[in-house]
Amino acid sequence: MVLKMGVEAENQNIEKSMIETANNLLKNKEVDVIIGYSKGTVPLSSAPIIIRREEDTDKLIWNNLCYVNLAKYLVPLMPQLCDSEGNSLKIGVVSKGCVGRALIHLAVEKQIKLDDIKIIGIPCNGNINRKRIEKEIGESEILELSIVDNNINVKGKDFEQSFPFDEYLNELCKVCKVKSPPNNESLAEVCVGECLEITSVEDDFSDLDEYESKSTEEKWDYIIDTLRTCTRCYACREACPMCYCHLCFVDQNKPIWFGKTTEISEIITFHLTRAMHLAGRCVACGACSSVCPMGIDLNLITRKLEKIVKGRFNFTSGIDIETLAPMTTFKMDDSEEFMLEED
Amino acid sequence: MEQKILQKDQVGKLYSELSKVYTFYAPIKEKGNIVFKKIENPKDIVLDYLNSKIPPKSVLFPETEVLFEYKLDGKDVEIIDRQDLDDKILIFGIRPCDAYSLELMANFFSFHGNLKDELYLKKKENTTIIGMGCNNPRTTCFCTSVDGNPFKKEDSDIFLTDLGEKYLVEGISDKGKDLIQKLSWLAEAKNADIKKANELAKQAEESITTKMDVKEVTKILESSFQHPVWDEISESCIGCGTCAYLCPTCTCFDVIDETDDYNNKGRRIRIWDTCQSCLYTLEASGHNPRDTKIQRCRNRIMHKFSYYPKNYDLLGCVGCGRCIHLCPVNNDLRVILDKILKVEKKEDEKAIA
Amino acid sequence: MTVQTVDDKSINENWEPKIIAFLCNWCSYAGADLAGVSRIQYPPNIRIVRVPCSGRINPNFIIKSLTDGWDGVLVSGCHPGDCHYISGNLVARRRFAILNELLEFFGIEPGRVNFMWASAAEGERFANLIKKVTKIIKELGPNTKFKKKWC
Repeated sequence: MVLKMGVEAENQNIEKSMIETANNLLKNKEVDVIIGYSKGTVPLSSAPIIIRREEDTDKLIWNNLCYVNLAKYLVPLMPQLCDSEGNSLKIGVVSKGCVGRALIHLAVEKQIKLDDIKIIGIPCNGNINRKRIEKEIGESEILELSIVDNNINVKGKDFEQSFPFDEYLNELCKVCKVKSPPNNESLAEVCVGECLEITSVEDDFSDLDEYESKSTEEKWDYIIDTLRTCTRCYACREACPMCYCHLCFVDQNKPIWFGKTTEISEIITFHLTRAMHLAGRCVACGACSSVCPMGIDLNLITRKLEKIVKGRFNFTSGIDIETLAPMTTFKMDDSEEFMLEED
Repeated sequence: MEQKILQKDQVGKLYSELSKVYTFYAPIKEKGNIVFKKIENPKDIVLDYLNSKIPPKSVLFPETEVLFEYKLDGKDVEIIDRQDLDDKILIFGIRPCDAYSLELMANFFSFHGNLKDELYLKKKENTTIIGMGCNNPRTTCFCTSVDGNPFKKEDSDIFLTDLGEKYLVEGISDKGKDLIQKLSWLAEAKNADIKKANELAKQAEESITTKMDVKEVTKILESSFQHPVWDEISESCIGCGTCAYLCPTCTCFDVIDETDDYNNKGRRIRIWDTCQSCLYTLEASGHNPRDTKIQRCRNRIMHKFSYYPKNYDLLGCVGCGRCIHLCPVNNDLRVILDKILKVEKKEDEKAIA
Repeated sequence: MTVQTVDDKSINENWEPKIIAFLCNWCSYAGADLAGVSRIQYPPNIRIVRVPCSGRINPNFIIKSLTDGWDGVLVSGCHPGDCHYISGNLVARRRFAILNELLEFFGIEPGRVNFMWASAAEGERFANLIKKVTKIIKELGPNTKFKKKWC
């Protein structure tokens, strides 16, 4: 029997072994740079960092606020990490489960080559739902956040509040089944650190039951109520490792496809189409919801996408490098129960 | 100077009196975010807030704004201009940094009187600003470094100070003083109240610990357009528009024509735009002079701290700190400016060596 | 392009839905043609847009139709295995399956968007399905909620 450690101790262990791995990789010249997380300048944040020298590895941190999906820094849209002569570098990426999945899926979509990448696997213990805590604290500034005895303690100028860790995790982290980057034979060369031998994911999606039992009208009202504060800043899109299009559909202006205003149907159109584009590709990292400045929760949509793809095509993105993405292929006997038939 | 007292429970009375004349905007809480909205019920007003999530520029420069509409009748085109520009607007409970930002935007939208954006300027002219001192600035606030102050009164017509259970009301501009005269039911302020207000102002100013030599930044920026520091600054940026959309001084907009063919009508609107978007500088030829992340990231800093001072003799930043605590990847403006400040030092060292 | 829709006040028994139909060139469009030359009657509510293949139908076409105010959308292609381009309709089928579920998840009434197969020889089937679609959408009433509002 393994005694469950406190979150704090867990974080320290993860951080320690991560720094060690990173250090070794740089020392042995297995990688040229390491992308990881560093301490943020404001509470409830962490800052992605690119480390080039061995002595800088102690800037790396792991805590429960490392919400950015670092795979984003490798997509073709981002400037490629090169040396002074313009040669591409070998990159180590500090990977929680969803970062690993994103990297693998990007490789499946032939957007990156895993040969140049090392997945530094860490056993993620979940991200804190920072937007929820911010909302519940309301109009007081949070100055300090610490995790003690599986409680999130938040301190401000004249208040102190405690939240149970398990309850205040991101909704997606609560149901996450792939906490460490997936590893199998074809990935053995790529993965270092702690990875997970996994070939398929079982999930019952019971967290969606409540929403799905709503009537059409209730669903529509919920969607409007959730999305109406959207300012169209596209932070969700930019934080998403799978949104790497050179020209997003909302930016297409020859001719203009969809309006970019804050009129509700146009907001819904954006989120609906973005969801459509992420079907079978979304790795459920929850970065979109974590970065939204207005605190819009898109996790429900993410879960639904996972559910559809799992149910219809028995596919989970970013697990296996060999399986084709479901939207790029087909089967003769795909179910078509939604097709209209004569009476 | 007119100095009066407004009890906190009298805000509703103030609203019902002023909303007869003005379109009354004030901060409300909408889905956990403080935003400035037209008030329907004075009970919605939230005044003990840090600062609004969406800056109050949205009142005079909304996210989506109709410039004009048109109707087609055969070959005739009828242009329908905006009818509401003469409406009187009142913005209640705005923070001094944001009040100053409206002034800055007026500067931009008049461009030294050469190119006037009538839409904004007319609305600005018809706007009465009731500012409110910032008793508890955030740790990310740095208004004192950019010619501001948590109790800067010049940009408001009337200025409120939260004294706990009541507000000290001060008339600043003539417009504000006149308005206070009309509100004859306001009690006179006692000396103790004024003293307390001054103390609070001092306390607030002292609580802002971030100090930056922004003038120096401006100087350095002039010569460091191609400095490698920009690589470092833009490294972690993911290129979203959060910083620009939620910046109280960002004025960029995109103009879009919408047509409704079936009903023979259409309209021209403007929406917020951001220099962080790759489409922002894309030319019709397909050429994009600012097509890398580094260039876009640099532009935002340059615009606020170098071009703005050059064009208007003013800084383009009011120090509200929104871009600091809302940046998804924690690309902290304070750290950026710090890096820029260090640029010169290195160069000095080189010169000495 | 926007279409005129009846506003709430004027909904009455005479209200007729406007349905946009994306038909593939090789089967469904020819099927519609066959229905026409065979003089099979079907409701005049559909406006046909001919596309090369059901695989050409971007989900955006469908969403855009709804925000433009069409009361219903119909998509029709060749039966699986009959695609002129071998597999266009099979790729499209996966896309439609997901779109269909997402629309429902977002609270768009099921039946607002319909998918069907009809071959070039199935003039009768085509007419029957158009009757069915028109009936479904007539029962749903005008598309007011997803239509873009000119605020």
